[in-house]
Amino acid sequence: MPREIALADAFVPGLLLVFVACLLMLWVVDTIVGRFGLYRFVWHPPLFRLAIFVCMFGAAGLLLFR
Amino acid sequence: MSAVPGPSITKPARVPWLAAFLVEERAAWIFVAKTLLAMYITCWLAMLFQLEQPATAMITVAIVMHPQSGMVLAKSFYRAIGTLAGSLFGLALMSVFPQQRELFLLSLSLWVAICAGGATLYRNFAAYGFVLAGYTAAIVTLPAISDPLNVFDSAVMRVSEVLLGIIVSGVVSDLIFPERLREVLRRSAREHFAHFIDFARGSTGGSIARADMERAHMRFVRAAVQLEDLRASVIFEDPEARARSSRMRLLNLRYMAASTSFQSVHHLINRLERSRPDVAQALIALYSPIGKALSPGQGRDQDPGVLAPRLAECEDILPPMAAQLRTSLPPETWLEFDTGAGLLRRFASEMRDFTALEASLREGKLRGTVETVRFPRGNDFAGASISVLRTFLTMSALSVFWLMSGWPFGSSAMLLATIFSGLFGASAHPMSGIVNTMIGYASGMLAGYIVTFWLLPGGDGFTMLIIATMPLLMIGPYLSTRATLPGVGAGYTLGFVYILALKNPMVYDPTHFLNDAIAQIVGLGLTAVAFVFVPAVTGTQWQRRRQLGQLRRQVVLAATAPLEGLLYRFESVNRDLFHQIVSHTASGSPESRSLLAWALAVHECGRAVIELRRDIASSNVPHEVSVCAEEAVRAVAHLYQAPSKAYWLEADQAVERAIAATAGKLDLARSACQPTLHHLHLLRSALRDDESAMGPFIQLPPEPSHAS
Repeated sequence: MPREIALADAFVPGLLLVFVACLLMLWVVDTIVGRFGLYRFVWHPPLFRLAIFVCMFGAAGLLLFR
Repeated sequence: MSAVPGPSITKPARVPWLAAFLVEERAAWIFVAKTLLAMYITCWLAMLFQLEQPATAMITVAIVMHPQSGMVLAKSFYRAIGTLAGSLFGLALMSVFPQQRELFLLSLSLWVAICAGGATLYRNFAAYGFVLAGYTAAIVTLPAISDPLNVFDSAVMRVSEVLLGIIVSGVVSDLIFPERLREVLRRSAREHFAHFIDFARGSTGGSIARADMERAHMRFVRAAVQLEDLRASVIFEDPEARARSSRMRLLNLRYMAASTSFQSVHHLINRLERSRPDVAQALIALYSPIGKALSPGQGRDQDPGVLAPRLAECEDILPPMAAQLRTSLPPETWLEFDTGAGLLRRFASEMRDFTALEASLREGKLRGTVETVRFPRGNDFAGASISVLRTFLTMSALSVFWLMSGWPFGSSAMLLATIFSGLFGASAHPMSGIVNTMIGYASGMLAGYIVTFWLLPGGDGFTMLIIATMPLLMIGPYLSTRATLPGVGAGYTLGFVYILALKNPMVYDPTHFLNDAIAQIVGLGLTAVAFVFVPAVTGTQWQRRRQLGQLRRQVVLAATAPLEGLLYRFESVNRDLFHQIVSHTASGSPESRSLLAWALAVHECGRAVIELRRDIASSNVPHEVSVCAEEAVRAVAHLYQAPSKAYWLEADQAVERAIAATAGKLDLARSACQPTLHHLHLLRSALRDDESAMGPFIQLPPEPSHAS
């Protein structure tokens, strides 16, 4: 994946798109987890959510810049 | 002064007011600490990323922060969307009119005005998103107006700064001492449930005084609207709540349906007590199984899991009991009794649905498919267009003034005027809000002056920046936790951060500082002037009259709109409208009394009309009956459209004719005509209720026996 992507002739950092994609993924994960109430087994749900997001974004970002 | 309230909380008996004070202070200082933390992290990151104006990012934090994290996330969400939309529009506008200032400013004013109008049509933070979409376009384009090629960079910077602020404040408020909105929602949902169940149980004795009923109705309405508002914010905070979001809506709708049936039952019983006490007594006797089902005792009175099966059992008891009670009454009262019995059966089944859903929600497991439910709102487009007009006039007057005078800081004034005329457009008391904000703003700028020219120049590095700015900055968030000073705290923080204009490296320019300060104060003042010329409509007599008219037209909606989903639409728009009107009338005033009377009448009649239309549509009612019933529905709609004695008479006669027609066909098609007859009867008794809003229009009909 290129580091900068042209969207309608404007250069957008690829990382931004990855960020947005990760937000969407988090949203999907949240929907599934919320449906089954799994966050109740976690000590600090917001922290856990943030950690999941950091993992996803970190992994995707590293893949991008490999 | 605040940090250790622990021991006094555990022993509140000694000095109760002190304990309360400390609890309150503790919450306030946690909020202040969170806000400051988020602001400084944002500022640091903004400088690290070399954003143009760290101040914008800090202002975003100041605006978005709220003690409850759900509110922060909801507001952030809409702020992000509004910022993106506004920036895109600003870019587009600039690329269309790069050279024509006049055309550019005209279309910008129009856009901002339309957005301000959109904001008055929405409740919650969606309104805020609209305001932002408006003024972000101005923020992005105005500084770049003399250099159109810069506008893209300006937009990118603005979006980056705002998003940075949003992300930091969202993370900070969600992670550090989060105060959950979910708890508030759960608590108030349980309170409302308990109140409703208690009220339904407590009224087993039969009649409820009109005033009590009105108070109860008010509370039911508030509950329905409040729960919906909370739900709309909680879904951002809690994934679990988001997964159940539509079920919570459904619960709310069932709650509304049950409370309307409950009122209809009691109005009917009240009316019968005046005319036929024996029938009323029979109905009260028929109500007692429901009351019994609602009181399992042993502290489980408010446990929906216990109540739901009991209500289901009670539903089986009602029909045989009704048949038995019916035989003890004289035959000419059977119709009235059957109407009441039908209503009671409907109430029981709605209560069962409601409690069963509440039980499944409390159980915490989601089963089955997720249903789509909407909570439509009642909107007034005239109010919105006045808001559009005001913002447009402010903006274009300022543009003209700016272009003619060539004032270098005109864009600053214009920005502030745009922001605040959008923000205050939908508030009920814009003038006092603006004055408060202005006081806060001016004192914030004064503090900013002290910090910029006395404290900051001596320091070096980020730590010194924090030390220099913190003492005066924390006044703002602290003030905003005081409910007695609305707007002052927010104004102070905004003024302070705005005028401080932290940069890396910092720029010290007293002339620029003073000019900017004057321009901003002028901008705020101009907003106030705009509100003097085109006053806000929210909460005015004019708007109330219009809203009341709209409330009455709800019956017309009930009579004419397609039946699919109509019941819920009717119920929720009703409540939203009523809530809007009620929140701006003093309780106990004659106005509020007449309003309540109308609301109850609209509720009862509208519901009866909908049920009647359902009967006509669903079962195989004889043609003659359905024609008459449709005519009755139309006549009732006419009456509510324009209440007058003549229309009342017309409606009453039409209903009477329909009753006669239906009664005539009763032997041919009993199963089809019976419910129609009951609903017609209910409609007639609601029309003739001289304690309701119909009172002034009622004329005693000429007795048919004396005629001819």
